[in-house]
Amino acid sequence: MSPERERLDADVLIVGAGPAGLACALHLARLIRQHNESGGKPKLPAEGIYVLEKGRDLGAHQLSGAVLDPSALAELVPDFAETAPLDAPVCDDAAYFLGARRAWKLPITPPPLRNHGNYIVSLNRLVKWLGGLVEQAGVNIFTQFAGVQLIYEGEAIAGVITEDKGRDKDGKPKDNFTLGYELRAKITVLAEGPCGSLTKHLVAEKNLGGLNPQVYSVGVKELWEVPSGRVNAGWVAHTVGWPLDSSMYGGGWIYGMRDNRVSLGLVTGLEFHNPRFDPHEAFQRFKTHPFVRRILAGGTLVRYGAKTVPVGGWYSMPRVYLGGCLIIGDSASLLNSQRLKGIHMAIKSGMLAAETILDALRAGDVSAANLSQFRRKIDQSWIGRELRSVRNFHQSFQHGLWRGLAHTSVQYLTRGRGLVDPMRMPAGHEQYHKLDGAGPAPPRFQGDGMLTFDRLTDVYHSGTRHEEDQPCHLHVLDTNICVDRCIFEYGSPCQYFCPAAVYEMVEDKGGQRLKINFSNCVHCKTCDIADPYQIIDWVPPEGGGGPNYEGM
Amino acid sequence: MKILAITEQREGKWNPVSFETVVAAQQIAATQTGSCVTAAVIGKDVRGLADELATNQVAEVLLVEHDLLERYTPDGFAIALRQAIAQSQPDLVLLPHTYQVRDYAPKLAASLGKGMIADCVGYRADKEGIVFVRQMFQGKTAADVSFQGAPPWFVSFQAGAFRGDQVTRGTAPAPITTIKIDLKQEQIRTSPLELFREAKQAVDLTQAPILVAVGRGIKAPENIPLAAKLAKLMGGELAASRPICDEGWLPMDRQIGSSGQTVAPKLYLALGISGAIQHVVGMKGSRTIVAINKDQNAPIFEVADYGIVGDIFELIPALTEALEKK
Repeated sequence: MSPERERLDADVLIVGAGPAGLACALHLARLIRQHNESGGKPKLPAEGIYVLEKGRDLGAHQLSGAVLDPSALAELVPDFAETAPLDAPVCDDAAYFLGARRAWKLPITPPPLRNHGNYIVSLNRLVKWLGGLVEQAGVNIFTQFAGVQLIYEGEAIAGVITEDKGRDKDGKPKDNFTLGYELRAKITVLAEGPCGSLTKHLVAEKNLGGLNPQVYSVGVKELWEVPSGRVNAGWVAHTVGWPLDSSMYGGGWIYGMRDNRVSLGLVTGLEFHNPRFDPHEAFQRFKTHPFVRRILAGGTLVRYGAKTVPVGGWYSMPRVYLGGCLIIGDSASLLNSQRLKGIHMAIKSGMLAAETILDALRAGDVSAANLSQFRRKIDQSWIGRELRSVRNFHQSFQHGLWRGLAHTSVQYLTRGRGLVDPMRMPAGHEQYHKLDGAGPAPPRFQGDGMLTFDRLTDVYHSGTRHEEDQPCHLHVLDTNICVDRCIFEYGSPCQYFCPAAVYEMVEDKGGQRLKINFSNCVHCKTCDIADPYQIIDWVPPEGGGGPNYEGM
Repeated sequence: MKILAITEQREGKWNPVSFETVVAAQQIAATQTGSCVTAAVIGKDVRGLADELATNQVAEVLLVEHDLLERYTPDGFAIALRQAIAQSQPDLVLLPHTYQVRDYAPKLAASLGKGMIADCVGYRADKEGIVFVRQMFQGKTAADVSFQGAPPWFVSFQAGAFRGDQVTRGTAPAPITTIKIDLKQEQIRTSPLELFREAKQAVDLTQAPILVAVGRGIKAPENIPLAAKLAKLMGGELAASRPICDEGWLPMDRQIGSSGQTVAPKLYLALGISGAIQHVVGMKGSRTIVAINKDQNAPIFEVADYGIVGDIFELIPALTEALEKK
């Protein structure tokens, strides 16, 4: 006999308290209040909105650069300039091409990278603040709870099941065992960020994928405190080139923040050919460039983190609605990879979803047909215009930086069409070259402990913590492939692409064995995306586990 | 409404949460006209406890005694209480939410085909009836739960939901009714073993003056006795870095570091430990740190007072031999 789950009935359940999910919750709570206050029929319950968030606290898993385009935030919170925790308005922006030793400043900053009127923010702080507004509006946010399974009702979604708590390593219930809750909702909103564990399975199962498969980059970030006078708060620099070679998609960022803090990182497309490429190492090397070193020297590392970014854009957008369900924000591919911006679209998509939901609740119709207006709202809003205008941007870099840049200018002149439209693109994990004939693996990066660090030291600075006695949340569906094929074909790339040293191949009885240090996991999802055999399934661990991105 | 409060005792001593249950029953009774409270005590030779219970303001105390109830078994308690409920016919059965109750109460309720609202933190009573409040989502929200169907209804309350010292005393001792229990040995499918207290921590590394800690360099679980022997000869305890405990080669309570214990012994001997920051934060306060590692660049040497770049499999036997000679 299997025990019955405890059940809670909601009107609207939002999975993920990031900018998209919280904007949806806040806007919807206000719309429902306005509806009721103006005597709208039928009267809608004000307390039926719930948000699930797997992080320990609000904002704990939020990581971005971040330069915020405030257009959507201004729609959501009109007095944001006075009330939001913005770090600094952008005062100066520049783009650089890095060679191994030199940096060339581009004579003009390309239009997509112009950031006047934008703000440098800590996404962690912004989300904490936004979450406060959401709670004031009467919405329940359940931190430390993850959605692990969708409840299907025919072709529609009827809610989610949260994770079990208190299972030991082997999955056996411990003293504090609590079976996951069954949260039923009229509408479930998936706002899980990039490669959401529910969204991923839903898109695959219901065949909701876009024209192109979704492609991702991974951003590896450090927050530093540097001696005063190095960079001004509000200074924004973007780089292309070294340490990535011209076949690779990606680039670096350095943002000056208040109190002598510097946010910097390197974004690498998870579509590189060398299976031994290590994005964390590339970022460490980036810091040794004279241009970067000059800024950091004598400073201290405050915090570390990593997160994936969906860069597929318009043509990778899945179907964002089905019966009883909407997909928003990064989960819906709403990110402008040319401008490196997604927070504004996350917020806007949350608001459009809220408007769709109000309408559906009023009509008592949550069918796919009725919710399809969400997609029309996206198309007709500035999200649609902005994404269509860069719809072939990322794809044009699949043959390297130079062709990509050349094509980008054609795209600019043709308002997004470029030379081939739509331009197709395979999934990133199909881009690896096999190791054939490659020599032995080079030694791993060590770090000097001052400017550069090994991965474990960085993981320590991510504040990551998990309950140790729980089942491993990184499901490798067939570890025989790791040992029998992957070692020989690709040299175990999981050991390299993971920026948190989760995966390692260890000696075992004369052979090798995959060891998963799951408690190092910073929840970036790189493994789920970049594994060449697609046998890693990232599922949420017990709620509350993961990084603590305070100030990131 | 007839309310039955079931108490809990072990070896003739009260579990003090029992009185919280009696208070719950008294308070709920006060909200419902025509209510009375009955309290039950279950076990063997618990007449004295029943007398004590009877000094409270209750209409009746049920004495549920049987030789086979001397020690707790889920079958025995569920069968006996079912008979007590059949005789006293309560509408509402209240229990303290203890480990024992968690074990037998669902069985008891299910055997009567009734529901149970477990782990409640309070109640609200109005004309419509009584609503019980229980927490969900780790206390982030509270749910109101009420019963459907015919009584008896079962409710357990979390410890601390009521204050045991608010129990209302009676003016005269309440009558004690002995419930005749029909219970046979063969109905009880489990036999309890001796009670024991789980050792909270087998070893307290924070108190050890000398620690010998092993890391990945120890290579295989078969090699751990080498280090254990050395630790014993040095008069110290054996400790480990995370990978060793992660592999299950040593128990978790021997792990030093950010996800284990923080120690500051007089002497810390690190064998084959690379010195990742996660480990170092747990032992850097040691008075003297001695590290042995093959890799001269291992970060452990940055915190070590004495370092040996060498093979632990040569050095452990050498140290052991030297100590044995002493």
